[in-house]
Amino acid sequence: MDEVTKLNFGEPIRVLLVEDNPVDLKVLERMLLESSLYPPEMVKTTTSFKETIKLLKKEKVDVIVLDLNLPDCQGLETLIQLNQQYPSMAIVVNTGAYEDDVGLKTLGLGAQDFIIKGKYQAYGLNKAIQYAKERKKFELELLNAYKNLQETQSQLIQAEKMNTVGRLASGIAHEVKNPLATILFGIGFLHEKLKDPDENIALTLKSIKDSAQRANDIITDLLDFSSLSKLNTRLEDVNTIIEKSLELTHHPLDKNVIKVVKELMPALPKLEIDCNRIEQVFVNLILNAIHAMPKGGILKIRSYGVSNNQAHKAKNRNSDLRKEIEAVCIEIEDTGVGIAEDKLPHIFEPFYTTRRAQGGVGLGLSVAKNIIDMHKGQIEIKNRTQGGVCARVVLKIGIKGG
Amino acid sequence: MRHKILIIDDEVDFAQMLKLNLEERGEYEVVIEDKAINGLAKALEYQPELIFLDVIMPDMEGPDVLNQIRCHAQTKDTPVIFLTATVKREEVEAEGGHIGGHPFLAKPASIEELLQCIEKTILKFKPLGLS
Repeated sequence: MDEVTKLNFGEPIRVLLVEDNPVDLKVLERMLLESSLYPPEMVKTTTSFKETIKLLKKEKVDVIVLDLNLPDCQGLETLIQLNQQYPSMAIVVNTGAYEDDVGLKTLGLGAQDFIIKGKYQAYGLNKAIQYAKERKKFELELLNAYKNLQETQSQLIQAEKMNTVGRLASGIAHEVKNPLATILFGIGFLHEKLKDPDENIALTLKSIKDSAQRANDIITDLLDFSSLSKLNTRLEDVNTIIEKSLELTHHPLDKNVIKVVKELMPALPKLEIDCNRIEQVFVNLILNAIHAMPKGGILKIRSYGVSNNQAHKAKNRNSDLRKEIEAVCIEIEDTGVGIAEDKLPHIFEPFYTTRRAQGGVGLGLSVAKNIIDMHKGQIEIKNRTQGGVCARVVLKIGIKGG
Repeated sequence: MRHKILIIDDEVDFAQMLKLNLEERGEYEVVIEDKAINGLAKALEYQPELIFLDVIMPDMEGPDVLNQIRCHAQTKDTPVIFLTATVKREEVEAEGGHIGGHPFLAKPASIEELLQCIEKTILKFKPLGLS
């Protein structure tokens, strides 16, 4: 919260009276106008729920004085419905005298106050309206502050997690890489010695070698994650990096029978980037796409220039437009299974993986995000309406990360 | 004649595996020193054509051992390759195989990479026709 909200009683107030009984309505209107020190700036009236919603769509209202029993909606349901559709609206419930117990219940359902017909006077009504408006304002601000606090807290936890991982990773990497190197050399030696091993021995050696290699990949990921401290930037052509990333992934692409469709805008301006790191991001995104398409599919990889949020799609090859390009956008799309909506908010968290059973560690995307953040770029991953996922990386021209 | 190689590394198992692999080729004779502090003495005694040097060792750091080796008249020209788990393959490759002017190999390296690096380093220090 940037500044503390002050109480502002007596500010011009816009009131909506929802009441289907003409006599009650008259009483309310008279009370509002006759005795308030600060008469409302606006008083509107509606007599049904439907009419109320229609009016709220075009009028700005501060407080609603709400009769619960309307021709088209009755009882607490009236309040629940209204509160659901307009959660930031201050509501004072105006209940019948026989509904004493209902009054208290309304406070738990989002009403700011309740008044009982026939038992209040102008003073009480005006006070309830003024308080309702102020209370709602504070309630919303509190909610907002709480949301910000929660966000900050989760960012702090995230940062601490990264920090811990970083510190652990470099220590562990050194300790683990030595025995791994020993194992790999040992296997190399046995391979050399056993010129013609029988099938089981060959299989055993291969399993040990693959496992050690996998362990090494995990450790390397961890190190990547922890050692993203400096970039080695140079002016680079993004399309060249895309081509190289596709080369590096062509085995798994072929294995899963995935067709690659390239739409690369020619002669894009060069970017001040670390080509190894950016390649790592592209390879990661391509591998994710491959994993999402175990039974084949189409991987579309696209690059184009962006200026003033206007995308120059590949068809736009006018050289004048090229001069205006401020950023380069790279999109990698698959036709795979997509990502469950509840998992989407977590995909950039370290150690979050949907492929734990397949040996996923959950560092690929968090490393990718770190790399793109360091380049002061953007990365987002969305489900496509046609199915599959679209990963989008935006890198600005003339911005040097670090 | 076989090329003499010295490994200075506290990871004895690793050094042993490396020795086995290299000697298996028939062209190399390998000696291991697992105490960094004895590194220079061993180099003087054995007079290797090439030294593999670990970076992080408990009694003395690799760069300090290198410094001693470079300061001694008898060993100052002996090629030294850092072989360490503290750097990553990509980092080494990005720098063209050198970090701070010294040849580096990241553990775990394949035996092929090692042999290539040895050949390159020995050839560089002893041009063809002199060896």
